[in-house]
Parts: sequence; C-alpha cells; structure tokens
Amino acid sequence: MHEAFFFGPTDRQIFGVYHPALGIDTGVLTVICPPLLSELNRTHSALRNLAVALAQKGQHVLRFDYTGTGDSHGHLADASMAHWVEDIQISIQEGRDLTGCRAVRVLAVRAGALLACNSVGSQVDIDRAVLWDPIASGTEYLSTLDREQASVIDTHHYLSRAEQAQVSSEYSIYGMSAGMLSDIKAINSGVYQAIDAKKFRVVCTSSAGQFPVENATEVVVPFECYWETKIDGVVFSQPVLEQLLTGLTAA
Amino acid sequence: MIEEPLQFGDGGRLFGILTKAERPANAASDSRIFVFLNAGLLPRAGPHRLHVRIARELAEIGIHSLRVDFAGRGDSLPPAEGPDQRTVAADFVEIMRLLESELGDIEVVLVGLCSGADNAVRLAPQDRRVTGLVLLDPVCDQDPGFRSRALRYSTRALLRKCTTPSKYLPWIKRCMAAMFGTNDDADGSADNLSLRDLPTTEQTRDALTTVRERNGKVLAVFTQYALEYYNQLGQMGDVLELDDYDQFCTERFWPQVEHTYPFEQHRRQLIDAIKSWAS
Repeated sequence: MHEAFFFGPTDRQIFGVYHPALGIDTGVLTVICPPLLSELNRTHSALRNLAVALAQKGQHVLRFDYTGTGDSHGHLADASMAHWVEDIQISIQEGRDLTGCRAVRVLAVRAGALLACNSVGSQVDIDRAVLWDPIASGTEYLSTLDREQASVIDTHHYLSRAEQAQVSSEYSIYGMSAGMLSDIKAINSGVYQAIDAKKFRVVCTSSAGQFPVENATEVVVPFECYWETKIDGVVFSQPVLEQLLTGLTAA
Repeated sequence: MIEEPLQFGDGGRLFGILTKAERPANAASDSRIFVFLNAGLLPRAGPHRLHVRIARELAEIGIHSLRVDFAGRGDSLPPAEGPDQRTVAADFVEIMRLLESELGDIEVVLVGLCSGADNAVRLAPQDRRVTGLVLLDPVCDQDPGFRSRALRYSTRALLRKCTTPSKYLPWIKRCMAAMFGTNDDADGSADNLSLRDLPTTEQTRDALTTVRERNGKVLAVFTQYALEYYNQLGQMGDVLELDDYDQFCTERFWPQVEHTYPFEQHRRQLIDAIKSWAS
C-alpha cells in the first residue's frame, strides 16, 4: 500500500512515494534520504522494503528522489547542492503536511547522510537520524567517486585512447557540474556536529569508529556492500535492514 | 512533457510512470508508445537513469512512453510466486490494458536491456499491438567466424592493456573464457549470461518475424558485454536468416561501450540512436 506522486516547486518536481502507517498509527513520520548516483538504484529495493516494514510498525514513510536523480525532474548536470538540501526540507514539510505528524525521523544512506544533516542542521527539528554507512565528508565522497570511476574504467577493455582520456577526466562518468563538485567538496564533517549526538543511530557495514561524532550510537553489521566497485549490483542485506528498522522504531 | 505515476493491475499491484508528449509529432506518434522494461533487478529508471533520460527526450520529439516495474521490481508488489516468465506475461497483459485505457488505440515499442531484452523478445509475439523492439544486448548465437574474430579482438585489447599491467591476469582470464567458451567463476564474479533466462534462437526469430509481419521495426544494439557471443555487425541477421532482415532490423555494434552505459558520452550515443531510429 503506497502512493506515488510528484510534489515541490512546479519547475522542479520531486518524485516521492508515500507509505501510510498501517495498523496503530504511532504519529511518527520517517523521511528516507537515499544515496546518490549508482547507489540510488542499488539500494532502491532495500529502502522500499524498509519503508514497508516501517509502515507495518505504524510509521508514515516518505521516500523521494533528489532533483536530477531517479524519477525526479531535472538533469544531474543542472542540479545544485542547494537543490538537494532544499529537496530534503521540502520532503519533510510535504510529509508533515500529508500526515500531520510532528515527530520526524530521518533515515539517510551514504552521501544522503551528509545531505540530510546539512539540510536538517538547526533548521528542522528531527527527533532521530538513522544513518547507513554515512560518508564522513564531501572530500571523502569525491574520493569514493574517484575510486568508483577508476573501477568502471578498469573493467572497460575496449575504449580507444581518446575515449580513455575523455572518461578519465575528473568525475566525467557522473556528468555533474563543476559547481556541484565544488559544493560537495565544501561539505565537511561539521554538518554532523550541528546535530545532538544522542539523536544519531549509525549502522556501519565495515567498522565502527569512523563516524565523526563522539558518543553517537554505532552498530556494526558486517556485510560487504562493494559500494565502490560493483556499481550495478543490488545491495540487499536483511541484517542491515533489521538494524535500521530497530534504530528507527526503538523507544 | 507530462509525467504521471500510475498504479494499476489487481489492487494496484503494478507501478509505472507514463511520460506524455505535450505535442505528439503526428497522428502516428500519438498512438505509438515506448515501454521500458526492467533491466535485471534494477527499478524502472534504468541503469544510470537511462530509461528516464530516453523517455523524456522522446517526449521532446512527440513520443509517449511508460517505464514500468514488473511484479517484484522497483515499486511494484512482489508476486505470490516468482517472479518468472509467467508473472512477466501476466504483468504485460495488465500493462497493455492500462495503455489502452490511457491512450486508446496504441502501437507499442518494447525497450529492454539485458534481461529486459529477453522479456521483450518473449512478449512481442503475445500482443499484435507490439510493432517495435529496441533490444539492448539481446542474446545472439555465435556464427562460424565468431571464435577467430574473438581472438582478433582479444589481441587488439591486449595491446591496449600493455600499459596497465595490473589488468593482465583478470583480463586474460576473461579472454580465455570467451575464446574457449568456458566460464571460469573462480574470481567470484558470476557469469553474466548465466544470470539471464535467455530466449531461444527460435523465440528471437519468432519475435522478429511477428514484428516484421506487423510492418514494425527492430533496433538491436550490442556492446562490449555481448563480445562473449557477438562480435561482428550483421551477425544477428546472419544467424537468424530472416527475409528482408535489413529492411526492418537495424543492428548497431558498439564494442567500446559498456553494458549499462556508465559513461555519459555513451548514454548520449544511445539516446541519439534511439531518437533517430524512432523518428
């Protein structure tokens, strides 16, 4: 049971899927901030399943795609960091308007965690942020994209020299603007510091201790996601989803 | 362009997004609709957002489209059993019913990459309104000259690899597998073709024949991925031996392009090829 729709500014419509609470309504809205680029497709199924599970536990859930990604309008090349930050704020407001919920939780994945915390900061009152393998900073994210691009080029055996030079240029496979790249670079781990450490539940699939906020609750669920190498593979781990579910529903 | 999310089928079990051109190019294009089928496990947006990009650019030249999730994919509900060929066929009936109710008389072009191409081949004969196929890396039998050409390709690529020694071993392994028809899975990576529920040659021939009989047309694009079984422009036509093949089927062979189009210039190349074929 869900409802898909476009919302937000008329010139930049955001695609969203709303999962209403089933059974006893807990009055909680969870907004899912997905990861970016290839990771969006890779986690689609996992995040959809998580949304269904949360709805069954009585939460209202809103999933959405950032401007220029997934089914939302716009081209990635024209999208800006300001759009993505605003997309999260608009989605939270849309979810509140739809459901009337005051309690808002955010589930954010990878670079989505950076965006969500940058967006929420001190401006939006959320009562919990559950993060799945959060990226620590914009610089780290660009390094991740670098390695991902290198991995794609590595498996590509028949490019001409000219094409190889073309695709090896900075982040060329993503088609993001120079402005976007410099905006990403500018996000530092300070965006996490702006949020009370007690509100975080961090689920890591590699090792703990990498999240840049002291005293944040971290759980390690060993699972190889191959974030940087298998860009077309689907990431689905029931233990990870269970931990995310627990993080979002536990008292 | 107008986009409309649609839930359809029994209890709204299926999901798709209809992209309607604001100004159809002409009466014929008003009734023609491209339907994008899931590529493997990926949702309707397609790998690297390919389906979204193609759909919106087709709308700009006056062509409608639907990108759809089969049961158990994307935002469609999982089937009670499967998914398998039977559930895909049942979903297709619902898709055609939806399109008829939304657009009236329709002519459908099925677009599929990888397993999407396999499904398109199997579905085409099932409904007379399917008059076009865009097959991205469909399966194709090897022809008698395949192995010797494979050796030539491997040698050429080896020369390119000389500057990057770290690539030698895994690459040589893959070449040997292509040349000798073995699928060495020792590095833990699954063989791509073994993950697909491939149509038979007879099913492919049947699909193309029915499209030809409906005065439709086919675009088949082969990339680097297909080098395991396809390595010469025209190979599909030679293998299928269909009358008037060149009149209704356009083959493209792009060995420099990766299967899921991760590079922007290759996405652009594909979008332009489809738009030109569709116009």
